[in-house]
Amino acid sequence: MTDYISRHAVDGNLFIPKMFQGFPEIKEALISNRVQAGFLVAPMAIALRSQGVPIKVVYLGHRYGSAVVVQKDGPVHSVADLRGRTIAIPSRFSDERLIVLRALRQNGIAPSEVKMVEMSPADVAGALAAKAIDAFAMGEPFPSQAEMVGFGRVLFQAREYWPDYMSCVLVVRQDVIDERPEAVQTLVDGIARSGLWLEKGKPYREYAAEFVGRYYFNQPPALLKWALTRPLDRVMYAPLSPRKRDFDLVRDLMIESGILDQKLEFEDYVDVRFAEHSQIQTAWKFEPGADVE
Amino acid sequence: MKRIAIWLFVWTAAISALHAWLNVNWAEILNDRLPLERRKLNVAYIPVT
Repeated sequence: MTDYISRHAVDGNLFIPKMFQGFPEIKEALISNRVQAGFLVAPMAIALRSQGVPIKVVYLGHRYGSAVVVQKDGPVHSVADLRGRTIAIPSRFSDERLIVLRALRQNGIAPSEVKMVEMSPADVAGALAAKAIDAFAMGEPFPSQAEMVGFGRVLFQAREYWPDYMSCVLVVRQDVIDERPEAVQTLVDGIARSGLWLEKGKPYREYAAEFVGRYYFNQPPALLKWALTRPLDRVMYAPLSPRKRDFDLVRDLMIESGILDQKLEFEDYVDVRFAEHSQIQTAWKFEPGADVE
Repeated sequence: MKRIAIWLFVWTAAISALHAWLNVNWAEILNDRLPLERRKLNVAYIPVT
């Protein structure tokens, strides 16, 4: 997405996309200024801000797209069956951990009755297949991978317990916001346009799966097609403007689960100016299959 | 002895040059040294949709 934005931005090449394998590595890269912007899980962004790291959330990466997956022929058929089981999550500071806690609470299960282990997203499928874990809570395409290959079954999608669920958010270092606001706006506008383009329908999502899988994610396009189209609203790319009520909920769940010790205000960690301006944007004018100029 | 030293030097220089050519991303290194207002911005992501 950032590469496409960079190549099609009127300002010329502005961004260099850098792939990481886990959120903690992105966190370290942001702190050390090796990257100036990045996609992080929302609780990690809030936690970093609370620790004084000079970053702000400026936009969302997508909505929904996380699920709890169990072994296909295993004994877990309901949230109640998770009692005493081991569940992998991407990070202590992830929305996936919060969604598991939310589901447990709604089913009368104490957090202490479940063992949560942190695991890199790329490792969970193998761990579930090898029965090293009983379940995982992770963003796409890992739930799709478990379904497609046949060793996993979606127990529930995040939206079933959290209707306005958001996962990855775009954070930018404060010095970049202050000194290069036009570059941040270009990035946010580009993500908004890409999101609207993806929401135009199945052929657009299938085309995106093809080139993102091949050239950026190093994942089979068929897997991404599954994740983006079964069903079409499995992952949503609009609306992506940060909303106060969504972040207040994340912050309160973080405090409740002991990973945040202060009640940060929305304005302390979100800068909505770029999202507000991006609302005038329209989808990229590019038809699936057409040559990129 | 002098000939061995020369060969050793040439070999080390050749390997170092090859390494610098093949494995070092000079564009990225030079970009990181530019002032913020002229630098391309590195944007981090992980392969989740």
